[in-house]
Amino acid sequence: MAPTKPSVKGKSSSSKGDASKGKPLSSGTKISKKNVKRPPPQEMKSKARTEKSQLKKTKKRVYTEEELGLPKLNAITPVGVVKPKGKKKGKTFVDDAEGMMTILAMVNAEKEGQIESKMMKARQLEEIREAKRKEAEARMAQKKSKLDDVKQSIRQNKKHKGDAGASKADAPSGGSSKSKGKKKSVSFA
Amino acid sequence: MRQLTEEETRTLFEKLANYVGRGLNELIAPPSGSEDPNERYVFRMHQMRVYHVKLGLVGLATSIPRDNLLSLGTCVGKFTKTGKFRIQITALDLLAPHARYKVHIKPNGTQPFLYGGNVLKAHVGRWSEDCPEHAGVVVVDMNDTPLGFGVTARSSAESRKLDPTAICVFSQSDIGNYLRDEDTLFTT
Repeated sequence: MAPTKPSVKGKSSSSKGDASKGKPLSSGTKISKKNVKRPPPQEMKSKARTEKSQLKKTKKRVYTEEELGLPKLNAITPVGVVKPKGKKKGKTFVDDAEGMMTILAMVNAEKEGQIESKMMKARQLEEIREAKRKEAEARMAQKKSKLDDVKQSIRQNKKHKGDAGASKADAPSGGSSKSKGKKKSVSFA
Repeated sequence: MRQLTEEETRTLFEKLANYVGRGLNELIAPPSGSEDPNERYVFRMHQMRVYHVKLGLVGLATSIPRDNLLSLGTCVGKFTKTGKFRIQITALDLLAPHARYKVHIKPNGTQPFLYGGNVLKAHVGRWSEDCPEHAGVVVVDMNDTPLGFGVTARSSAESRKLDPTAICVFSQSDIGNYLRDEDTLFTT
């Protein structure tokens, strides 16, 4: 503690001495010395100002989160709650009739389009179904007609055969009936 | 009570447009012949519920504290916390006169419908032509009295081929809700 005090005193005395020396110089030669001395301090001052202002500007600059390139999970605001800067806070209400009408017109047009497309789809599907049904019916009818033809042909064949065979079969059948009659008569007798 | 935001208005209109066709304009258009802006109908939101109110009445309602105001005008439905809109049976008065599609049900079908059941094919008396699948319909009885609303299960063309016990319209809300949901219909 002791050595420090005198040193401080000494310094202060020396500075005072410098100031006292400087004052008489400036006061002694008023015009000439001022003119000579002016430029250097001005330069110094301007430099200092610029430096300070530059320093201030760099301090003022605020980096946005995008510039910093921080990972989103490290950011202070949660990912879901990012509020856009420079936008007005709160909700934007729609109350004027025109605004409502425009929204309504948009919604209506959208809905009409949806319904129309639905109806178109339904109609197309219905047409396809109808065409398929008709095709199936036509096929069934064809099959039936074929079957009928076959049946008819078989019947005709049978008839022909039956006509031919009937004359042949008549004689034995008649003989058999006679024999049967005889048998009966025999039995009853 | 506050006005609806743009997004809310869109959601509301999209829901209403399921049931109402071009007549939706008439819900917000000023009544013909009157120049008074207070005669205009607007939508207002109060405690997540949306009301269809005359503008003059909205002005009067500002004198009532929010907490004390239970309901005003016609309640259309309410917004869920996820931003969807649930339409209520109280909106039937708005929908019925401007309905896009209507299903008329026979007297034997009214009771099952009013108890919350779906509409069967056997109960359908008349049916709007060209009605697509999953479209909103207003269910009315044979005397044209609105009973509720629902969503079609099949298109009108398809439903002709259905058997009598098949479901034609899925019930969404019916006037039986006034009794069944008496406790929760107007309070949160």
